[in-house]
Amino acid sequence: MTVIDSEAVAIGGVRQGWLDALHGWVTTVDHKRIGILYVGSALFFMVIGGVEISIIRLQLAQAEAHLISPQTFNRLFTMHGTTMIFLFGMPMLFGIANFVIPLMLGARDLAFPRLNAFGFWLFLFGGFLLYYSYLGAEGLYGAGSAPDIGWFAYAPLTSKTFSPGNSTDYWILAILVSGFGSMLTSVNLIATTLTMRCKGMTLMRMPMMVWIMLVVSVLVVLVIPPLTAAQVMLLLDRFLGAHFFDAQAGGSALLWQHLFWFFGHPEVYILMLPGFAYASEIIPVFSRKVLFGYPAMVAATVGIGVLSLGVWAHHMFAVGLSRDLNIFFTGSTLLVAVPTGIKIFNWLGTIYGGKIRFDTPMLFCLAFLAQFVVAGLTGVILAIAPLDWQLSDSYFVVAHFHYVIVGGLLFTIFGAIYYWFPKVTGRRLSETLGRWNFWLLVIGFQITFTTMHVQGLLGMPRRIYTYPADRGWEIWNQATSVGVVFQIAAVAIFAFNVWRSLRKGQIAGDDPWDAWTLEWSTTSPPPSYNFETIPEVQSRRPLWDLKHPDDPDGIHE
Amino acid sequence: MSWQDPERVEGIDLPAPTHWPIVTAFGVTLTFAGLVTSGLVTCVGFVTAIVAVVGWWRETLPEPREERIALRPPEQRAHAVVPVPGAVEHLTVGEAGHRVRIPVDIHRYSAGIRGGLVGAAAMAVVAVAYGLIAYASPWVPINLLAAMVIPSLAHADPAELSRFLPAAFGLAAVIHLGISILVGLIYAAILPMFPRRPVLVGGLVFPLLWSAVVWSSLGILNPALNERIDWVWFVASQFAFGLAAGFVISRTERVETLQTWPLAVRAGLEGTGLDRSGPDDPPREGPEA
Repeated sequence: MTVIDSEAVAIGGVRQGWLDALHGWVTTVDHKRIGILYVGSALFFMVIGGVEISIIRLQLAQAEAHLISPQTFNRLFTMHGTTMIFLFGMPMLFGIANFVIPLMLGARDLAFPRLNAFGFWLFLFGGFLLYYSYLGAEGLYGAGSAPDIGWFAYAPLTSKTFSPGNSTDYWILAILVSGFGSMLTSVNLIATTLTMRCKGMTLMRMPMMVWIMLVVSVLVVLVIPPLTAAQVMLLLDRFLGAHFFDAQAGGSALLWQHLFWFFGHPEVYILMLPGFAYASEIIPVFSRKVLFGYPAMVAATVGIGVLSLGVWAHHMFAVGLSRDLNIFFTGSTLLVAVPTGIKIFNWLGTIYGGKIRFDTPMLFCLAFLAQFVVAGLTGVILAIAPLDWQLSDSYFVVAHFHYVIVGGLLFTIFGAIYYWFPKVTGRRLSETLGRWNFWLLVIGFQITFTTMHVQGLLGMPRRIYTYPADRGWEIWNQATSVGVVFQIAAVAIFAFNVWRSLRKGQIAGDDPWDAWTLEWSTTSPPPSYNFETIPEVQSRRPLWDLKHPDDPDGIHE
Repeated sequence: MSWQDPERVEGIDLPAPTHWPIVTAFGVTLTFAGLVTSGLVTCVGFVTAIVAVVGWWRETLPEPREERIALRPPEQRAHAVVPVPGAVEHLTVGEAGHRVRIPVDIHRYSAGIRGGLVGAAAMAVVAVAYGLIAYASPWVPINLLAAMVIPSLAHADPAELSRFLPAAFGLAAVIHLGISILVGLIYAAILPMFPRRPVLVGGLVFPLLWSAVVWSSLGILNPALNERIDWVWFVASQFAFGLAAGFVISRTERVETLQTWPLAVRAGLEGTGLDRSGPDDPPREGPEA
């Protein structure tokens, strides 16, 4: 067997020709490289989705504006939603998990490295297929065009009657293909977590992030198949004249909503739980304390996962469900607040009495805590059926959802990137630029999404192309659009920070944050084999045990 | 820890890089993309996927292809973690005394349950009295309570409401007992916060506040039910619950709350009096007489 120089294949290794380097990335099965590919691709799609929403906000900044056509507007919000959910959110969480989880478990790679690569490429090609629709699809008006059916693609809008070209088919097929990738990666994460933990790492000694990603992966495996089934049924409707969702021929448009939201609501938790995971790793390290109430956090995570499977129809209150169903789904949705509240209090308990370091990762997590509480409160409002009837399909719902996904997930993603960037690259991101990034994002986020609540309460429906000037909505829309400018500036500073830090960033060392989980015990960046010898742990914080042999965690757990 | 001392090994076997995953993914994507482009694309994609899968199998069966990665030279490996003995600061009782802790002792949960059940009985007596006086039937208040979850009952005529309805009785019993026990538990938790006049607060103030909340919101949540409620009797039944539950709870023994314990103990991190001796240590002797 040939012995390969580890530096030649490790991240940040010796310089190679660009063709060799490209070949290395294309053929890699290393979980760290695949993680970087996931994160890089997700950021690429985030920029595209950001450009789309910026155009939308320009259109809505003025009443009765005609900057773009209504058809273009429909395509833009469809592609923005689809991109941010399927091509930014999910790949980002899989990317970070890919890089970090084997290191946290003390493993050399994921359980199925080739399958891992396959999953990534399926996601990426699925994304390309979606965007190829701009060139290849014959949309409603006969021109090549993107899907225009919204990210949840309600029937009968998706029928051949109302969507005669191929744009909807591109949406179905792209999500289908990338969905296969998501399932494969989830299976891989489950197998890795259950079978490849290092010696001494019992389930209750796993880092909180591993627990959460295990629950997320199980959720993905449970809820992607119903979506895939629904998409296949829709394909049969569109290609072979089946009538699953055709109410006039005995089908049910409501069936699509049930199938989609059985996936769609757990999907919100699939996206948000990893944000909890990042916060659960970052907050203890920057509070210099152990995570408060680890067993309760594990139970709450599992509880959220279980409850999330039984709340989907709260997205459907407005269709006219029976009273019994309204009561059930209101109750089950309100129940989710219990484990989520446990998590919030446990993070606060972790911070309480700690010696807090206000580094950039911690700043993002603190903002997440405040913003996510607001998101939770508006979620409780929307969970109550009579209130949902008033607010359904208004900008209030858009505000709530973005408070969750941006205020919760995006902020923790930025926190995670600032936290693990030194491990991935060997260099730290600039703290000064990080603070600029943070404050501009906070200001932009608040201006954009807080004002959306008001628009919704004033009755502005979501997805409208333009609006009359006499409704009192214009000033709020202008504020929302101004907020986007701040967010663009924040992302631009982040991009500059990454570019600059890769070249001139401070050398990070193995453990720049004085952290406690196994990934910080190896070099930055880690070698392709992760560890010279497989670690052995005796508590949830193995590096704490090494740093404080007089007071190891094991005696307290 | 043994894992800090890497063994002297030449290299580590890892899965070899392979192009088959990307080729397979490309083939699968083309297979689907052909549905919206051309049948030829599907054919090319399908063949590509089959070739790639066969190539993948040949690379992994019977044994997955691996390559041996040489270990980094010692100077490029991770630095050993440096112990920092004595650096741990333990949280202590009081935590700088900046937080007021009340109450220091509370009622047991069982007291709340008992109080809730006694309150439920007292409330039921008043409610049934209302039914007998106003409608000559004890079942009216019971059926009205069940109307919270049986919409048709909210619109039923007095004759229907005066009948015994087994399903409504069962539901009303569950609702009444469930809410009563929950409110009893809440009473047990919060009455110690008002140590001077627990009966006044629990028996009169809380029922009034609760009645005000129900009165102001029921018209929005359930207008039909709202029209059927006699608010004087409703408040009277709340008083009956509050006085009975408050009386029972306030007479029970109190226990020390965890508030005075250190944060670390409450978090389950440390137990006071932790025995740090190992299994090989000699057994300790008792105190000398």
